[in-house]
Amino acid sequence: MIAEILKALFILLTVLMIAYLGRHYIFTLTVLKNSQKRKKDANAENIVYQPFVSILIPARNEERVIGRILQRMTKLTYPKDKTQIIVINDGSTDNTGIIAEEYAKVQSHITVVHRNKEEAGNGKAAALNAGFKYAKGEIVFCFDADYYPQRNILEKLVKEFTDPKVGAVQGRVVVLNEPQNMVTRLVTLERIGGYRVDQKARDSLGLIPQFGGTVGGLRRSLLECLGGWDESILAEDTDLTFRVYLAGYRIRYVYDAECYEEAVESWRAYWRQRYRWAKGHMQCAFKYMFKILKSGNLTLKEKIDGSLLLNVYFMPIFVLFSWIIGIPLFLSHPPQWLSISWAFMPIFLYSFVGNFAPFFEVGIGAYLDGRNRALWLIPLLIFAFLYNIPICTKALLDLAVSKITRKKNNYWAKTYHSGNGNTYIIN
Amino acid sequence: MKMLPNLNPTFIILILGIVIFIFVMFLPAFLELKKPKDAGPKMIMDYNFSANFAMKEIPITDLEETHGFDQTLVKRIIDAVSVLPNLEV
Repeated sequence: MIAEILKALFILLTVLMIAYLGRHYIFTLTVLKNSQKRKKDANAENIVYQPFVSILIPARNEERVIGRILQRMTKLTYPKDKTQIIVINDGSTDNTGIIAEEYAKVQSHITVVHRNKEEAGNGKAAALNAGFKYAKGEIVFCFDADYYPQRNILEKLVKEFTDPKVGAVQGRVVVLNEPQNMVTRLVTLERIGGYRVDQKARDSLGLIPQFGGTVGGLRRSLLECLGGWDESILAEDTDLTFRVYLAGYRIRYVYDAECYEEAVESWRAYWRQRYRWAKGHMQCAFKYMFKILKSGNLTLKEKIDGSLLLNVYFMPIFVLFSWIIGIPLFLSHPPQWLSISWAFMPIFLYSFVGNFAPFFEVGIGAYLDGRNRALWLIPLLIFAFLYNIPICTKALLDLAVSKITRKKNNYWAKTYHSGNGNTYIIN
Repeated sequence: MKMLPNLNPTFIILILGIVIFIFVMFLPAFLELKKPKDAGPKMIMDYNFSANFAMKEIPITDLEETHGFDQTLVKRIIDAVSVLPNLEV
């Protein structure tokens, strides 16, 4: 009886893995196919649409990087008289506020919102909501303090809002401190897969490109209707993505609107960041899974993609689970070839074939970026994948405990930015 | 001693094969990590080519000084081009 249940579970897990496997291959082949096509809307660059925009920059103890982004913001090609930059100094104990104020003194379009220690430190969503109160722009953009955008990024992003159905836009994130060490190099590969392939394919296929919470913007009117950012969710960006779609709007991904970021530099920082992402994503999965399936505002393919996107952080746990149940299945059956194949199927399917799909995705992304040598590092991604298994498992367990005990345990683990990326900026 | 598996040649070849496979799979990655030859972070472009070309002022004197260009040759090219009709009118 137990063996039958394990077998049924095993088949379910295998089907799930095949679904994600297919998804990766479809995304990769779509981008590969479209890479030869010229942009149909080449004239879009010439569309003169320049609404007043607000840029929110939440910053908590970012003295090493805040000057860099503010300096860059003063160099944007978007008209300054149509730009409002709001730095939210979220209770910093370093010189972040002082540096931002220095810029505000000489740049009239920069405003600094200071949050005191009592109200600060409750996460990015809370900081963004505090800044949003001062935003006057028709479009509200968000940039993290460690980012460094293209000078004409706003023009590229804003033009998508000429379509009234577009509620939000997302640009591409490029890792700045890539050569620093193995972790930054692996994060770069993950980013290439995510932004050069995943997001691009989703946009091309009319699925759900994800609003990443930074290097992106939303219609102010929509954001007001949605009530701003949800402070109870750790992945405020994923939460907003699904609220935008449930409200009947769409998100466009503009892959040539590029912005540098500083990637995490150690495995410990990687754990903290991914744990927050995993937990937040799981919160969104529980919150929106049934809502998106029932929604009349989403097409069938958007519902399928949305479901896969929402549950993506459960997959490393499923892999672990399939390995665990594979052992008793193997032991409880005579060692015939069929039983052995059952035991090893999840490993073969996901770890060998399944992992080839995201590796293939990353590889094609790197190839399209002209990064042929970076391809050599792809086998090392298996370590990042294995590392994600305990991260996601812990996130799920902590979420379950907080649900059972009804204690909110949404501590926002801030990512430390060293400012080492400065050495790689040459323009 | 009886606890050890029977180390027949097939078993040893199998283990060796797996070790060599893993080594070969990771070798390029370790080589690239040790001596990176990758171009480094992807360069983001601020403008497309035409915008960049149109907006940049080309300092002829600088070119002459830094690259040893013959300014008289540049002037001859400018004179030759100036006889063409002005398409912007």
